[in-house]
Amino acid sequence: MAKISKRVQNDIAKRSLEANKRDLKRRFDKEFKEIKQEMITEFLSHPVTIEILAGPNNKSQRVSGTLNQVTNLFAFIGFPSTENPIKPILEILESTNYKQTKDGFDITIPTSEDVFRATPMPWAQGRSWAKGIESGISGLGYLLNKGSRSSRSGEAIQQNRNKIRSQSFKKTPYISSLIKKYKNKFKKIL
Amino acid sequence: MIEQYHHKITNSFMLWFDNYLLEKGEAYTNHTGVSLEYYKDDRLDPNYKAYGSPFKQWVCDSSINGAIIPSSITVGNTPSGEYNTSISGRDGVAIDFENGRVLMETSKENLEITADFAVKDFNLYFTNETEEDLIIENKYEINSRVYSKPETYIQPYDQVIPAVFFNTSMSKNEGFAFGGMEETTTKIVATVMSEDSYLLDGVLSIFADSRNENITIASMEEHPYNEFNDLKTGFYDYKNISNKDNKCNGLYVNDVVTSKLTDRARKSLSNDIFVGFIDFEIQQHRFRHQ
Repeated sequence: MAKISKRVQNDIAKRSLEANKRDLKRRFDKEFKEIKQEMITEFLSHPVTIEILAGPNNKSQRVSGTLNQVTNLFAFIGFPSTENPIKPILEILESTNYKQTKDGFDITIPTSEDVFRATPMPWAQGRSWAKGIESGISGLGYLLNKGSRSSRSGEAIQQNRNKIRSQSFKKTPYISSLIKKYKNKFKKIL
Repeated sequence: MIEQYHHKITNSFMLWFDNYLLEKGEAYTNHTGVSLEYYKDDRLDPNYKAYGSPFKQWVCDSSINGAIIPSSITVGNTPSGEYNTSISGRDGVAIDFENGRVLMETSKENLEITADFAVKDFNLYFTNETEEDLIIENKYEINSRVYSKPETYIQPYDQVIPAVFFNTSMSKNEGFAFGGMEETTTKIVATVMSEDSYLLDGVLSIFADSRNENITIASMEEHPYNEFNDLKTGFYDYKNISNKDNKCNGLYVNDVVTSKLTDRARKSLSNDIFVGFIDFEIQQHRFRHQ
């Protein structure tokens, strides 16, 4: 039987390894993108995200269950009407990425702290509204906005103010649980 | 009800905060020879007469270097010896540190009393009120530390600003280690209300740097005040509490975030105050069933 030279053997081994690597990367890339897309879809379909995306005048999509229908989250937190508060979070989630290393793959997943830093409360920049969704938010943003624009006139506004004051914000899991869940999912494909 | 963990935490936190602010920030002003004015206080026992100063919350912590801690007063127009502290000590006189006044056990309403004391730059209050109610309602009188009006007494009992209001917003236990050790997390929000931004920035800066600081657990018994808001033993030094076991007892500031009400939001307030927030996360690892 003809002998295969050492050089050819090495060449075959190298090509086979590269083919494996390419195949591995293809499969990893597919799985990674699927999970990333799933994470973003889950974030965008979260009731809190939906309610905030619906803007300041939203009356029909008060779906987060955090305010007992008294007002919507956008107005409650006190965002300026032109702002898109969801955009910075989306950008951070979109930045989830990976790189191939000698030993496999390294995934860069944002932390909840990254998100909290990018989501300042409109009336107190050091606080995060995204963190507040999980730990509680006062009605200060809403009341300050109402105070400045509409003053204290109007019974409906006054009633709403009283409701806001007596209403305690119901905390709900948001960014931290989402990131924790997908961190585990990403770990599984490593 | 006997004292619970939550009582200890709030008491310990308040004493720590007071000492930390006064020590790190020298957040007090000394006043000497201040005339105290008589006023009627229906809540007092008729045997006592209230003589008030223009400022609330005098410093009572002797560990604060440079602060004048009043231990006596001077009575100008009484027969020698009646209120001579060298003879009678504190008999017949209670110093109400909280309300910035002295309570004299006398029937006389025309005593000429002067006192030396240090006033805190910020009054400290524990409250159950929400941030909205604290800030929007505009119900607090400003007791300016730079007094421009004629000096007269300030009404007792009401809360005044500049002040820091504390509220324990949340507490939870999570499993931490085998054997039943749990991690107890308590969130305390401090709402700082100041008449100028310099003082506000100072307080926020001091406590932004308080991460990982240890807080000594002090039971309610160790609180310095008696029923008159005078010192229980006539002397109070926070260092005696903080050094009592000569070791850390595991209560610490795990996280702290400071923030300020933006100028845009501040403009919609009906008064011209500066507002900041300090969000504390206090932790202890403990066996809660023991």
